[in-house]
Amino acid sequence: MDAGSTQGRVKKARGDSSRSVATGPRAHTRDRALDAIQKAISSNTSSQANVRQGGRGSNLEQVSIRGWKQSKAASNRDGGIESLITFLEKKLNSSDSKAGSRARITKSRVEGDAFIVSIRSELLDRMLKMNGFSFAGAPLTIQTYDPSANGMDQTMLSEVSRNSGAPSTADTKSKMTAILSKRYFQQQKLLNLSKLGSDPDLLAMGIFDSTSTESKFFPALMKVWEMNFDSSTARREAVESVSLADNQLANITVVTTLAQSFPDLKNLDLSNNNFKDSQSLIGWRWKFRNLEFLDLTGTPFSADPTFKDTMLKWYPKLRFLNNTEVRTAEEVAAQKKTPIPVQAPHFQDESQIGENFVKAFFVGYDNNRTDLLNGVYDNNSTFSLNVNTTAPRAQQTETAAWDPYIKKSRNLLKINHLPARMSRSFVGADKIREMWNSLPQTRHPDIGAQPEEWLIECFPIPGLPDPSGQSPTGVGGLLIMVHGKFEEINGPKVDLRSFDRTFILGPGGGMGGIRVINDILCLRAHGGHEAWMLEQPIVQATQPGQPPVQPPVAPPVAPDGYGMPAPGKPDAQVQQEQLVMQISTKTGMTLPYSEMALSGNGWNLDAALKNFEELKPFFAVFLKF
Amino acid sequence: MAPTTEDALTKVSTDAATEFVQSFYPALQSNRGTISSFYNQTISMILFNGNVVADGKAVQEIFVNQMPPAHYEVQSFDCQIINPAYPTPTATGLKAPNETTLRDKSILVLVSGYVRFGESRDLPQRGFSETFVLVPNPSADGPKGKRKREWLIESQTFRLVV
Repeated sequence: MDAGSTQGRVKKARGDSSRSVATGPRAHTRDRALDAIQKAISSNTSSQANVRQGGRGSNLEQVSIRGWKQSKAASNRDGGIESLITFLEKKLNSSDSKAGSRARITKSRVEGDAFIVSIRSELLDRMLKMNGFSFAGAPLTIQTYDPSANGMDQTMLSEVSRNSGAPSTADTKSKMTAILSKRYFQQQKLLNLSKLGSDPDLLAMGIFDSTSTESKFFPALMKVWEMNFDSSTARREAVESVSLADNQLANITVVTTLAQSFPDLKNLDLSNNNFKDSQSLIGWRWKFRNLEFLDLTGTPFSADPTFKDTMLKWYPKLRFLNNTEVRTAEEVAAQKKTPIPVQAPHFQDESQIGENFVKAFFVGYDNNRTDLLNGVYDNNSTFSLNVNTTAPRAQQTETAAWDPYIKKSRNLLKINHLPARMSRSFVGADKIREMWNSLPQTRHPDIGAQPEEWLIECFPIPGLPDPSGQSPTGVGGLLIMVHGKFEEINGPKVDLRSFDRTFILGPGGGMGGIRVINDILCLRAHGGHEAWMLEQPIVQATQPGQPPVQPPVAPPVAPDGYGMPAPGKPDAQVQQEQLVMQISTKTGMTLPYSEMALSGNGWNLDAALKNFEELKPFFAVFLKF
Repeated sequence: MAPTTEDALTKVSTDAATEFVQSFYPALQSNRGTISSFYNQTISMILFNGNVVADGKAVQEIFVNQMPPAHYEVQSFDCQIINPAYPTPTATGLKAPNETTLRDKSILVLVSGYVRFGESRDLPQRGFSETFVLVPNPSADGPKGKRKREWLIESQTFRLVV
């Protein structure tokens, strides 16, 4: 790497450029030192996650825009994003009408309250000059985007550097990164933070020379650790064990941020510290929910008669305390047992209507929502979604922000006003289409290939509206409950979420003679599929996940008296039953399916037969036979 | 059926779902002797984790005799109208569409929350999803002079999902 590119890269490191990287020969020396440290770290690939580089490998610059959420446009259907982009592009172009090509925002995404856009590097200055511009009644804050800094850590780092007399924040950061790299053992997934007080590198930095630096040092160290990972998942998976042994800690006050950086920790060594009682650890009472191993030997608290009971109570998965087994794996598992045994899904389907619908639905929802709507939704179909933002989650997952959904969420606990309740319910294929097109793209797992990811239950229900008006007392259909997960695709970012979705299908003019009457969706943090796993899996013939089956062709068997007049049986019913038997014989469909096909076509035999012909390609095309 | 406005429909359905959710879960928790009063006489299906339960009486029986104390927390719920002219049974047969009123609706309710089985706060929170079909209560009076429940469970599917 030559000096020129080194300098360029360091300059691009965000947060440094204006504040601490000065000009002149001293700065160059320091840049080289920083680079040397980074190079040393990068070459040690076996044990160290690399420091995130400032450059992005292209001539696009990222800029963060804040303040738009306070604008009037924020109440738009898309949260104001489209008008914001239009506004920014217009302003970018109007400031220099002679520019060769039009200014474009090529890529954008939302991160919390920040809107991050990518623009060509030559537009950066112009963009930054727009800082403070008013957009739909709200002033915008426009800054270069720093993926690793969120204000707080920069402040902490710079305070630590100032107090310890370090030349710059970047310097402190790279020194801390070097210290972390020496103490991280990738193979073992262990971060050894024991005996920090006698670490020669930390002593050299003067960390422990003042109490103020000492108290800020650990949070800063944790921030530096977090900055070294590109994704929170990678960060969470990198460490299972942390040792804070031999640190003379009387309580956890200075190290409490460990719980934020490593919420899923399995093994924690706190031995040889000065914790006197449970109060010294109280800040971690509800943290580390997956802790299995805890070592507090060599602390006064260990001698407390309540010690074992308290720790067992605090940490439900704890198996080893002070190197002694305190719970068996079976005992941990038994806590999860439910008083209602988990059974295989109840799936009571007729002629695979429910099964084929579910399979076709999620493929269609991922790939072509418009075709799906045209196929099985009509003017009376209803769709609404609600977000459970506080749902229990699976281990090792961090929930992405709910911004794309929250303005449409019809959680009736929170949405109390009638107009909002009305506007968040979408009736008719056109309104649903508009709504669906505003939602992020999704990818559901393949039902056939990964049946364990799904739980689907289904049974027939009566009393549904008959669109043909022929059955005044209502028609029968299916209630289908689907639980599963999906990946949400937001540009390069992919988030994992779980969902519960209930459908009611009735006879109608859609493909296959069905219509979706109700489609109600609940979104929540990824919760895994362990909850519905059976201890001894039972394979059910009718369970979805089996290879798709064509509508059966076996001759239908009618119950006794079906299609025959009987005392008290209305003539209309006899006629309908006879039609059902007729179409059933012609098509080989079962009686309930034939009845649905007929009532969905106004009891017109020809229309129902024509519909049956449409039904075949529906299954064939949609399911890619 | 008299023409009804969209606000009236939304009001009647969301009020029904809200009242149901706010009375049913507390009953599961601390008033288990009343559980059967939430159920319709005819039931399409009652499922708990895939186990079929016959009717409201059987549900009450299970909760009274077999279930440890449980804490339910509803975190989100929503509802939709299924049939705006539901054929509610009367003494002389099912109501025809032209006889139905604003109350003759069937309503789909989807609930998301967590349940903790057992009394200790330290026990794990299990996420659940539950789907109900509610229908109008056809009987004129409540049980033993009590205020009658306007809406009854016609089908119920409970699943632990986390």
